[in-house]
Order: sequence, then structure tokens, then C-alpha cells
Amino acid sequence: MKSEKIDYLLEKYWDCETSVEEEKELQAFFLGGDVPAQFQQYIPLFSCIRDEQSVKLSDSFNERFKNILEGKQRERYVTIRVFKPLLRFAVSVLLIIGMGVSFYFISKQDNRSHFVETFEDPNAAMQHATFALEKLSYALRKTEAASMETIHFIDELDINWAALDSLNKINLSEMDRVKRRD
Amino acid sequence: MSIDSFHTIILPLKDKLFRLAYSIVREQAEAEDILQDVLLKLWNKREEWSYIENLEAYCFRVTKNMALDKLASMAIRKTGVIDPEKENLFFVDNRSPHTEMERKEQRSAIDQGIEALSENQRLVFTLREIEGMSYREIAETLAISEDLVKISLYRARQKMKELLSEFHKDEK
Repeated sequence: MKSEKIDYLLEKYWDCETSVEEEKELQAFFLGGDVPAQFQQYIPLFSCIRDEQSVKLSDSFNERFKNILEGKQRERYVTIRVFKPLLRFAVSVLLIIGMGVSFYFISKQDNRSHFVETFEDPNAAMQHATFALEKLSYALRKTEAASMETIHFIDELDINWAALDSLNKINLSEMDRVKRRD
Repeated sequence: MSIDSFHTIILPLKDKLFRLAYSIVREQAEAEDILQDVLLKLWNKREEWSYIENLEAYCFRVTKNMALDKLASMAIRKTGVIDPEKENLFFVDNRSPHTEMERKEQRSAIDQGIEALSENQRLVFTLREIEGMSYREIAETLAISEDLVKISLYRARQKMKELLSEFHKDEK
């Protein structure tokens, strides 16, 4: 590579204007040997970058991590295996209890309809109905008589209704006047 | 998303995730522990993958966060301890040019330079230089804007340039 191009790329590199490809080009140049004297001062930087790039995991890491991961998966499997029969048992018990309770309530339920025929003889039914209606009629008559008695009592008091009405009117006009004054 | 996603999307990322963790904690065993924790965390959360918009970026974010947490806990343990191999490199008297020792010295200085970068600068530098990610991919991975990615990378590269120039002057 020509020195001018290296100079140009280096300037771009220091100013962070190089692309990743141009930086790889520079690295290849400085690590390729046969570097002109004026550029040799930059070799340590690029060789340091190369060394950092070649840092690798130890060979045992993959195996170690695989074992840990498999151990974790096995742990999970064991947990499920231990709890699965217990879960099945619990679900069965709950199901049986639920069914038992349902049957108990269903069997205890009153299935009779709300209107059940209790009389077999129509005359007896008629007699009962007449008796009930007579009781109702008696109660109504009693309340009517009591109401009439009250009305007669008020009539006998001989109240002057016209005077009472006029009093009411006076009170209203008085109140209007007071309100206006306020 | 099915469990197959773990094998098709997440597991192929493991080398990249490891390098990101390594770039933060700088220790092979610690970085592998972080990766293992990240992968297990992702495996345990597999029911939630369908709700994650960018699973790859999410994996990088989880790795970054776990590595930074680990680094914080490691910092307490590591205070004052210098790697014996590096110690020799920090205090070499032989500065004659074109020797292997000088190369190592320079390399060690670059390592220190990278470590001295701010958290964002170091992460952006790692994802761009080592993983070759685009600015947009880095922005999504670190949940920052593309502009901030460019600024962080610019500052990191300028620091590297200064460091290399200083060495060059010393050589002369």
C-alpha cells in the first residue's frame, strides 16, 4: 500500500472517519510486516488490538456450561416428576368431593311445584273459599263502619270551615308583606 | 421466541461477550465466570426474550453491567497488587530501540493507556476496535447516542495517538 494512502487513512482513523473495512485494511497493513519507518510507531497499537481480538474462552468452558445447563434441565424434570402424581391425586380428590357435594344438594332439593292441589272434594274447597271470602268481607265492613263513625264525629263538632279558610288566607298575605319588607 | 434462540442467537455471541467481559476485568477466569453468570441469567429469563427488542444488544448490556460489578468487587481485592510479569516491564532500564523488551514496554503502556480511559471510552474502544461494531450497534449496545459513541471513540483514539507519539519522541 502506498505511504500516501496510509497517511490519509491514518488521519481519517484518528478523526473517527474511517469505515470498519478501512480500519481492517489499516490493521492488515500494520500487522503484515514491511512497514515503512515513519509508520512503525503505530504498530504496537494494532498488535495490541489483534491480541485482544484473539482472546479466547478456555476449551473447558463449553463442556462446563453444557453440564450446568443439562443439570438445570434435569432439575426441572425431576421437579415435575415428583409433583405430577401428587397433582393428579389432588385433582381426583377435588373432583370426587365436588361431585359428592353436588349430588347431596341435588337429592335434597324440593322438587314440588309451587301450586299443589290439596283438596280432593270440590265442595270442601268451595266451603273453604267461601269462609275465607266471608272473613275478608267482615274485615272490610268493620273498617267502613269505623270510618263512617269518625266522619260523624267530626260533623258533630260543628266547625266553622269558612272562618278557618279565611284565617289561612290572612296568614299568607301577612307572610308576603313581611318578606317584601325584608 | 423459542429455546432454539438460545442456541442460534445467544450461544454464538459467547466469544464476543467473553471478550467484552475480559476487556473490563482483564482476567481470564473472572471473565469466564461473568460469561457463565450472564448465560445462566439469560437462560433463566428465556420467557422474557420475546419482549426484548434487540436481544444481542441486551446480552452485551447485561455482560457489561455484570463485568463492571465484578470489577468493583475485584478492585477491593486487587488494591496495590502488581502483576509480577508486568512489574518487570514497568521498570525496565534497557531502552535501546528495536529490542523485544521495548516492544513489550510499549505494549504494556498501551494496556495501561486503555485502562486509564474512562468507562465509556474504554467500552466504545473495545466494541469498535476489537469487535468491529458499527457506531449504531455500539450505541444500541451501550444505550447511548451515536454522537456520544463518536466523541468517546475520538477521545480514546487521540489518547492512544498521544501515547504513541510520546514513545516515538523518547526513542529519538
